[in-house]
Amino acid sequence: MPVVELAGVTKAYDEKIAVRDLSLTIEAGQMFGLLGPNGAGKTSSIRMMMGITLPDSGTVRLFDQPFTRQSLERVGYLPEERGLYKKMKVIDQLVFFGELHGIEAGEARKRAQRWAERLEIADVLEKKTEELSKGMQQKIQFIGTLLHDPGLIVMDEPFAGLDPVNAALIEKTLIELKNAGRAILFSTHRMDQVEKLCDSICLVDHGTAVLSGRMREIKSRYERNRVIVEFEGSDAFLQSEEVAEARNFAGHAEIRLKPHGDAQKLLHQAAAQARIYRFELVEPSLEEIFIQTVGGKADA
Amino acid sequence: MRNIFLIARREYLEQVRSRGFRLSTVGLPVLFLLLASFSHYTTQKAGVTKGVDGSLRLAVASADPALASAVRDRLLAGKAPHPQVEVIAPAAQEAIAAQLNRLRSGEIDGVLAVDRAGGKTTASYTSNNAGDMMTGNWLTNAVEEALVAERLTQAGVSQTETAALLKSVKLETRQLGKDGSVVKSNAMASFWKGYVMAILLAVTTMVYGMNVARSTIQEKTSRIFEVMLAIARPDELLAGKLLGVGAVGLTQMLIWGVAGAALAGSPIAAAVLSGQMQIHFSLLEGILFPIYFLLGYLLNSALFSGLAASCETEQELQSFMPLAGAPMWLSFAMMLLVVSHPNSMWAVVGSLFPPTAPIIMFLRMAAMQPPLWQIGLSVALLVASIWLTLQFSARLYRVGILMYGKRATLPELVRWLRAG
Repeated sequence: MPVVELAGVTKAYDEKIAVRDLSLTIEAGQMFGLLGPNGAGKTSSIRMMMGITLPDSGTVRLFDQPFTRQSLERVGYLPEERGLYKKMKVIDQLVFFGELHGIEAGEARKRAQRWAERLEIADVLEKKTEELSKGMQQKIQFIGTLLHDPGLIVMDEPFAGLDPVNAALIEKTLIELKNAGRAILFSTHRMDQVEKLCDSICLVDHGTAVLSGRMREIKSRYERNRVIVEFEGSDAFLQSEEVAEARNFAGHAEIRLKPHGDAQKLLHQAAAQARIYRFELVEPSLEEIFIQTVGGKADA
Repeated sequence: MRNIFLIARREYLEQVRSRGFRLSTVGLPVLFLLLASFSHYTTQKAGVTKGVDGSLRLAVASADPALASAVRDRLLAGKAPHPQVEVIAPAAQEAIAAQLNRLRSGEIDGVLAVDRAGGKTTASYTSNNAGDMMTGNWLTNAVEEALVAERLTQAGVSQTETAALLKSVKLETRQLGKDGSVVKSNAMASFWKGYVMAILLAVTTMVYGMNVARSTIQEKTSRIFEVMLAIARPDELLAGKLLGVGAVGLTQMLIWGVAGAALAGSPIAAAVLSGQMQIHFSLLEGILFPIYFLLGYLLNSALFSGLAASCETEQELQSFMPLAGAPMWLSFAMMLLVVSHPNSMWAVVGSLFPPTAPIIMFLRMAAMQPPLWQIGLSVALLVASIWLTLQFSARLYRVGILMYGKRATLPELVRWLRAG
């Protein structure tokens, strides 16, 4: 059952078309990455998914039903432009969010306590939000998004402002939620995280989906034309006619082969001139695919 | 509906628990009390200008010695200010010029020149304080009374009878109640009661209206709106905020009401609010005060929440402050007219015109009880204008809370209104 289904969604603000004929599907138990340069239409797409704005044309379906505000009770949303009530105590704030999502106050309090322990912030529950660091506030926002156990979790730049330790904690939690059958959509500029976490992606540029599908399937569309070589000795093989571009970092070379360049031939040339410790033909990274697809326009 | 209740409750609890609420609940009545006491004190102190040594030194100059003496007698007849009066009569122009020189040198505080030519009496007063209206009135009265006394004497009325005739009369004011009964009323106390209630309404409706606006800006800058919009509709957010802040205002009034009632029964209040300052509150006033507060507040907050959504900072919001204060200034500019002529066309129009209705209706009620149909109409007009304002404001609010970066221009606001 698709949890999210956008079909031919278009949204324009005045003269500017923010999203053009966008279609995507997210299944339960899937982690979905919505990627694109700044101003590509990611946030506009998410806002339509959340009913914050309405599409000019096309349809939005959540949990296999046409969009209704009722269905938002099963959605957890962490927007990019996010905040908290500064003067409120953390626990009161979380209970308030829980109640708005239809949970009883007592139950919301218990869940907030459990989540705070899980994310190692149980000691700040009685503090006012304004007393906390940005990273700590981010974790509270994260809890607020998940307190009502949503079937769909939508996160816009969830790792922004987090230190590596806390980012890893959130990553781990997201993977657990995915394994528990939740559908997760996140929008980010961090390609390494998308590559590590997402099963499927949709790359938007100028409001249009320019690349979408399952990660494996997308990567398989691109030729394995990158070679990583670790060596000792002459680097003359980097001048081979098979090589389009090469960067040598003192014995660690990253090579891009010419179209139809022969990796096997290059390996022979390299082995003849230097001692080879590693020769690996790798698929292109998501970042390379991203840059290749949206050209030099991306500022991510 | 549940969302509106939850949002209103959050808003209410946050504000009621704040230090600002505690401070204003205690501080505002204390400030009012201090201002009223100070105002009362200065009114008591206000009067005829005194000289440097505490008494007024006057020279009364006239070509007619009898008239000059009669004026002096009238000046000395009152309870205050006990001036030192020097009669210069018969006085020619040179004598008056000499008195003016004495005034310049500070020897005396004023020169009252009274003259009579062709049956017409003229008077002029020269002093260092041209704007002193009370001294002017006092001197005019003295000259007029001297002329009346003179004519009465000429008509054969004895001095004792003349003095009795010129003695001021103490007027006791009574008011006809709605049921036709006559109740003793005190004009001064009624005025103060109406004035204080009107000013309380003016301040609280404006302060709480701006509170909603400020809270909107703060939520916009703290970026909480997008989180909330995924859970509640913009209309629910706005309605919850208006109801929550309104409930805070009513709570504050309830506290003041209970504290006022408790204090009114105390011996201190009995001593202060006795005699001239005896104040009576009617049931209607007790019912209408919270109603007018709520309506006045809702009108202000409905307007300013929409405008606040178009701003980025509280500084930008400040530019709308004159607009918030305008009904208050307009109402108080009409205060004297409303209190002295509570049934005049302007007073009635002012008490029906929604932005000024709460304040002017209470100023009118200080003088008399307006017809119930006028009260009903003003409430109905307020409700209608709140509804109308909300239609516009909600559109600005819906779009404005998600717009970041810069304050919206007028054409943009018009576009938002159309888009909403």
